[in-house]
Amino acid sequence: MKTYRNYVATWVMLFLACLASLLFGAGTLELGQAFAVLTGQGTEDARFVVMELRLPRLVIGMATGLALGVAGALLQTLTRNPLAEPGLLGVSAGSAFAVSLAILLGASTATLTTLISQVGALAGCGLVVAATRIQGAGQDPVRLVLAGATLTGLLLSLSSLLMLIDQRAADEIRFWITGSLAGKRWDQLTATMPSLLLAGAIVVGVARPLASLALGEKVAMGLGHKPGLIRLMVIVAVALLVGGATALAGPLVFVGLVVPFVARSLAGADIRKTLWLCLPIGPAMIIAADTLSRLLVTPSEMPLGVITAVIGAPVLMVIIRARRIPAL
Amino acid sequence: MNSSLDSTDTGQTPLHLTPGHWLWRSTTRHWSLLINKRSIVVNATLTLILLACALSSLALGTLSITIPDVILALQGKGTTMHTFVLEELRGPRLLAGALAGASFALAGCLMQTLARNRLATPGIIGIDNAATAFAVASVVGVGISAAPHTMALVGAAVATALAFGLAGATGTRGYRFIIAGLAIGAVSGAITQVMLSSVALDDANAAYPWTVGSLNARAPAAVNALIIGLIVGYTLSLFLNRALATLQLPEPVTASLGTRSGRVRVAGLILSVLLTGLAVSVAGPVGLIALLGPELARTISRPGSIPLTASALSGAILMVLSDLAGRLVFSPLEIPVGIIAALAGSPYLLWILLHKSPDINR
Repeated sequence: MKTYRNYVATWVMLFLACLASLLFGAGTLELGQAFAVLTGQGTEDARFVVMELRLPRLVIGMATGLALGVAGALLQTLTRNPLAEPGLLGVSAGSAFAVSLAILLGASTATLTTLISQVGALAGCGLVVAATRIQGAGQDPVRLVLAGATLTGLLLSLSSLLMLIDQRAADEIRFWITGSLAGKRWDQLTATMPSLLLAGAIVVGVARPLASLALGEKVAMGLGHKPGLIRLMVIVAVALLVGGATALAGPLVFVGLVVPFVARSLAGADIRKTLWLCLPIGPAMIIAADTLSRLLVTPSEMPLGVITAVIGAPVLMVIIRARRIPAL
Repeated sequence: MNSSLDSTDTGQTPLHLTPGHWLWRSTTRHWSLLINKRSIVVNATLTLILLACALSSLALGTLSITIPDVILALQGKGTTMHTFVLEELRGPRLLAGALAGASFALAGCLMQTLARNRLATPGIIGIDNAATAFAVASVVGVGISAAPHTMALVGAAVATALAFGLAGATGTRGYRFIIAGLAIGAVSGAITQVMLSSVALDDANAAYPWTVGSLNARAPAAVNALIIGLIVGYTLSLFLNRALATLQLPEPVTASLGTRSGRVRVAGLILSVLLTGLAVSVAGPVGLIALLGPELARTISRPGSIPLTASALSGAILMVLSDLAGRLVFSPLEIPVGIIAALAGSPYLLWILLHKSPDINR
């Protein structure tokens, strides 16, 4: 009964966030106007604002939040580390560096950027999982996070180096690297969608084996699963999700930490229940943050990455301040 | 340094307990000086290396000057061109770099020693980022009119206070403190980006090298403040040295030796924050120097000692070398010193994180 209430509550939250995202912005629409547009009527102006500006942004935000939230939950369960977040561990930085390199070399088509971003994320994700397999350091959540922060710093320095080489590329990279949903178009979403769907299919297949892997490697093997294969599939899924999200919105830190944290505190340790709850919570967080980013400094915008960092840092503190870091 | 605990003033100095030292006693026998031979050798070597680096840094660049010419120019007998390049361009830059590097490394050594954790450097716990955010606020003028170096100090202090407040206590091995600092660093970095993205593009481009750490944008006032701060900070840290050494012992032993560990910790932390803030105001966040300098110093110094002087010297050497590399590698394009330090230092930091114990005494 309680879980049922949680599901309803989170979906209602998502619905409210979407509504706010469509209604509020530089020019506020009346509720009636927005509905009129959605049902196929409405003035020309309102139509333009909703259909061309806010709706793509809303949908892309939903995809980003979904991808990052699910990726965070998967990575945390796989590494048994509640702090394992794609942004903190350097997965996002890996894809950010790859995209910076591509922008510098003159890439512009959205498809190419998505693919490159996912390759970068795959490399980052592989490094992280390899690090967790090291005896001693890998079992220590905090050391892993620090290693991730270092890797992120290294990759960002490399990106800065690229920015020094070409001023034109530098402007493009600097805007993209803070993370933002502003000015996104439908074709960027269609370029990313196939890989996100593929990742979704992998997640559906791997959720059950992963839940058994959480009970221990031997238990998973006893239940007829192959730990190595599960691990590989999860890495691929996380790379596809994070790479796709980064290509869409830039590297966003802390989303993959906050969303699974909230979901886990509502649903308990079972990864399958957590994943179900990540579905509404991830998009809701991004959309709420994006709406805030438009409202705080109207008529200009705050970068989305800043809002998620400001939301995420206190959550990190809450996790750390817990008497002991909960083992997954 | 003379951090041995065995030179008690019983009148009978146990000479056999202090091999590898020079003992000097005043004729009245009221006081004596115990000097570690290895410290002397290490510090002298580091000083020589620093001088060599400084000379190369003065000589090399877009306009190469031979070493004899550099020496001539320093004596005031060089050509006008050489004198201009050395006195107006490279000299001040070298001074700023060496001082900032020394400050960073000294601050890092103090903080690592206090936390007994080699990861606890000002850069990793977000002090650098916070100081940068405050200084950038002052540069782009977000309602505050204080000078950037003052703001950098305020930022460093605020970050430390926040980290302590959020972590509640230092906890075992200070990990909570480190993660609190990580969060503060992330938020500060985000705030810096907001400020940079809200000003005009030209201003953002001008401020950009400074936010990654560069010796290009230094202000004379900030350098002067750093000179005074480093002299004061270094002197005070030498006074703390013996107390810091006793802090490495188990808590009951420290107390029974008469060290007030609470006071020592606070004093060391204040010094560390002060040095970091001043260094950031000159060179921007080149936090990895604070990790690498003391690490290098510990490797070559006497085991178990707290190499404050050697750390400062190593930090200065690393900073001068990084800046020199940044100027030469892609000449005439100049790479900010912070990027060079990050590229060189991050792999090493990763290696420490994954393979070594974070305890500085192991």
